[in-house]
Amino acid sequence: MELERFSYDNKIVRNFAYATILWGVVGMVVGLLIAFQLFIPELSFSIPYLTFGRIRPLHTNAVIFAFVGNAIFMGVYYSLPRLLKTQIFSKTLSSIHFWGWQLIIVAAAITLPLGITTSKEYSELEWPIDIAITLVWVAFGINMIGTIIKRRESHIFVAIWFYIATWVTVAILHIVNSLEIPVTFLKSYSLYAGVQDALVQWWYGHNAVAFFLTTSYLGLMYYYLPKAANRPVYSYKLSILHFWTLIFIYIWAGPHHLLYTALPDWAQSLGTVFSVMLIAPSWGGMINGLLTLRGAWDRVRQDPVLKFMVVAVTAYGMATFEGPTLSLKNVNAIAHYTDWVIAHVHIGALGWNGFLTFGILYWLIPKLWRTDLYSKKLANVHFWIGFLGIVFYALPMWFSGITQALMWKQFDNFGVLQYPNFLETVLQIIPMYIIRGIAGAFYVTGVILMVYNLIKTIKKGSLLEEEFAEAPPLKPFKDEFRKGLRHRWLEGKPIYFTIASLVVVLIGGIIEFVPMFLVKSNVPTIASVKPYTPLELQGRDIYIREACNSCHSQLVRPFRSETERYGEYSKAGEYVYDHPFLWGSKRSGPDLHRIGGKYPNSWHYLHMENPRSTSPGSTMPPYPWLLTNDLDNSTLEAKINALRKIGVPYPEGYEKIALAELNKQAEQITLDLQKNGVPAEPQKEIIALIAYLQRLGTDIKANKQTASK
Amino acid sequence: MKTIIKSIWLKVLFFIITLNQFISAAGESDYPANYYDKVALFLIFVIIVGFLSLIYFESKIKIAKAKEPSLFWQKLRHILTRSVPVEREHELILVDHNYDGIKELDSRIPPWFLWLFYGTIIFSVIYMLHYHVLGTGPSMEEEYKQEVKLAEIKRAELMRSGAMINEENVTLLTEPNFLESGKQIFIANCAACHAADGGGLVGPNLTDEYWIHGGGIKNVFKVVKYGVVNKGMIAWQNMLNPRQIQEVASYVISLQGTKPAKPKAPEGEIWKEQ
Repeated sequence: MELERFSYDNKIVRNFAYATILWGVVGMVVGLLIAFQLFIPELSFSIPYLTFGRIRPLHTNAVIFAFVGNAIFMGVYYSLPRLLKTQIFSKTLSSIHFWGWQLIIVAAAITLPLGITTSKEYSELEWPIDIAITLVWVAFGINMIGTIIKRRESHIFVAIWFYIATWVTVAILHIVNSLEIPVTFLKSYSLYAGVQDALVQWWYGHNAVAFFLTTSYLGLMYYYLPKAANRPVYSYKLSILHFWTLIFIYIWAGPHHLLYTALPDWAQSLGTVFSVMLIAPSWGGMINGLLTLRGAWDRVRQDPVLKFMVVAVTAYGMATFEGPTLSLKNVNAIAHYTDWVIAHVHIGALGWNGFLTFGILYWLIPKLWRTDLYSKKLANVHFWIGFLGIVFYALPMWFSGITQALMWKQFDNFGVLQYPNFLETVLQIIPMYIIRGIAGAFYVTGVILMVYNLIKTIKKGSLLEEEFAEAPPLKPFKDEFRKGLRHRWLEGKPIYFTIASLVVVLIGGIIEFVPMFLVKSNVPTIASVKPYTPLELQGRDIYIREACNSCHSQLVRPFRSETERYGEYSKAGEYVYDHPFLWGSKRSGPDLHRIGGKYPNSWHYLHMENPRSTSPGSTMPPYPWLLTNDLDNSTLEAKINALRKIGVPYPEGYEKIALAELNKQAEQITLDLQKNGVPAEPQKEIIALIAYLQRLGTDIKANKQTASK
Repeated sequence: MKTIIKSIWLKVLFFIITLNQFISAAGESDYPANYYDKVALFLIFVIIVGFLSLIYFESKIKIAKAKEPSLFWQKLRHILTRSVPVEREHELILVDHNYDGIKELDSRIPPWFLWLFYGTIIFSVIYMLHYHVLGTGPSMEEEYKQEVKLAEIKRAELMRSGAMINEENVTLLTEPNFLESGKQIFIANCAACHAADGGGLVGPNLTDEYWIHGGGIKNVFKVVKYGVVNKGMIAWQNMLNPRQIQEVASYVISLQGTKPAKPKAPEGEIWKEQ
């Protein structure tokens, strides 16, 4: 039989590997900084671009989309052509993909500290960047599907199933979640409001974890683990079962982030049960990975690559058991809004994603540069210091989460809150934050050792840029389509395979979304809830810019401990004009949904200038620039117009008088401030923020007054 | 394998500690003064010991002794996993599966795994039936109402037994220890608006003889308890218990005549005890 000659492009793999390492270090160092800011608020240096709210999204975006993203592409561009015995479809597309992705990351790293974001939960990127992401993702898709079509291997391996599912689902998630109406080049509002926006965002957020951080990495595991261990994959049958059940069930589980919120009960329950059903499909991946190592455990002890991979797979198993546990509503009642969730995601991020990436890098770099790893000993040190980092990180965060939640809920003998001062519950867990900070430093140190080790390895070897290979051409083949072999048949038909996975992931989303958007009773309206005034709207945009929702929730849950502390629990109808929703999911500070009218204007003024003047010991950073910056009203008209288009009932022509209305309200607040001895000026940003904060959660009270009359 | 076993042990240890925490926090009592330092130290100790033992086991490579497990365990293991020993693995290799040198085995899906999966499905069906079809499980709102009802019953009992001090029967405390604890409450909660020495900031000066809403223990108690919401004074009844309100109100009255650093101008009228 004639053999065809072709080559594998190793340069693109090298580029993605460099990017992975670079962004990994950047993202983790920023993470370290924000970890320290939580107990040393002075570390924001009173510089707007360095406050926790603005750089936390930089950390999350950098580690998820820059570090893990590049690692996925590195892994795919190396493994995909080899599994299919062909060269990559188009080198041009590879380049577009690489440089496009790096540009997007740079754009994110610039816009996020500037406060340019569409907010929602994770400080999403603004619409021009969203479009760029879509284009680059399509380039990646064409390149991947093209390569699959041009293959010389009759069937596609399980790793490729996971790559396909990742690509298809992330595309849908990104597009649906990013639908927004542009106001200007760098400002837009989410198309959805309130509860619906929350549901869409958490469907996206949860499945970004599922399909960006999980399925892609399972794909990598199925290639690199058997390769590094030189063992066969344990069970083909298990691969089939856990692949399809995983992608089908995962997509439903998003609402478990919204338990005890204003989301209707039925949607919450769906989130819970699908999370519970997710245990087995997730563990399928772990079992198949660990059992693949049967007969190779003696080598796990010696080989740092396998060590990293084993801990990664184990961390995956732990995190996917913890996830469903957290989805039970009685557990969630304690864990939500606390550090427990932070511990949970970091088991996944540091353990599963981090350690698998390190394992792959330690295996791949010497291979590409045709040499041995510079120092096995150093890699072992990295392993141990990294492992210590994970343990040190998770333990104190579990602990502080549970401690704080129990303090929030504690009543005394008189039925009054034991710890009414929120700050007291924060100060209690500061020691845990310190331990966590040190743990983070350990983890980052390990990564720096790795960087040194890899640079030395690269210096020692020489890169094989084009790796030549030979294989017979793809023979026409026909699989039997009969019981027991149907899946084998599908593996020979990658396009059908892609369509099938698309259908499977669409089901859950559709069943949850359609009733939420179409059935009125899911969001009962409240007559007294009115759109924000122009000044409040501007204030809300400042709240979005500073990402106050990183630390403050806007959702009071229906527990007595919360209604006593904050006020009436939050109703779905209160958020109908909230484009985007700003519920938040972590309470580093108290909930703000009922903050309106609770403190005088002057309190807010002094508090924003220096939080410790009104709340001694507070860990909130100061925001002095709000007192000196003038409010930018140049886009006010466009904002009102845009919001009207997506259903906020501002009357026709309101945009023309909006500025006058704004000035009137600003004048009132300024007068009140001056009366109380604060030298305020009406055109400053702080006035808008105060207006928004004083409005928050108050509409429902007006409803009560009219009802009781 | 050792690594995994050890990390599981760490989890178990942690779980025990957490449980301990639950138990101690479930009661009505507060944490002991330096409880948290002890816990933190203990945690660090556990982590360090765990870590050192990990390294110890790591460095000691033992030659595995071929010890036959008993027949019972062999059988149980077989029922649970249906796995084929590594030595006979070649029987299971799928010959036409070879991807870049990676082979696949045709091993059975472990039965325990399937049972787990079916179990979670059954759980889910029952869960949905319980909460959304049969209506036997409470909704979020019903749960909340139940919680409030229980609290109201408890409060009514306290009222009846006279343990609840209110604005009608409250008396002025003058013992130094009560004033001291009143002072602590004041500094934690009131100093933000009234200044630590009571001289007033956003809120009025509390050291002069002028009172906006009337002086004397009964009035001060009432203002602290219900607040003056339109003026920014918070209602503290959900955050301080009646005893604490009595203490802080008594402390405020004890401030009369002291000399604050930056006194705010008097507001309201001179109050004379009737």
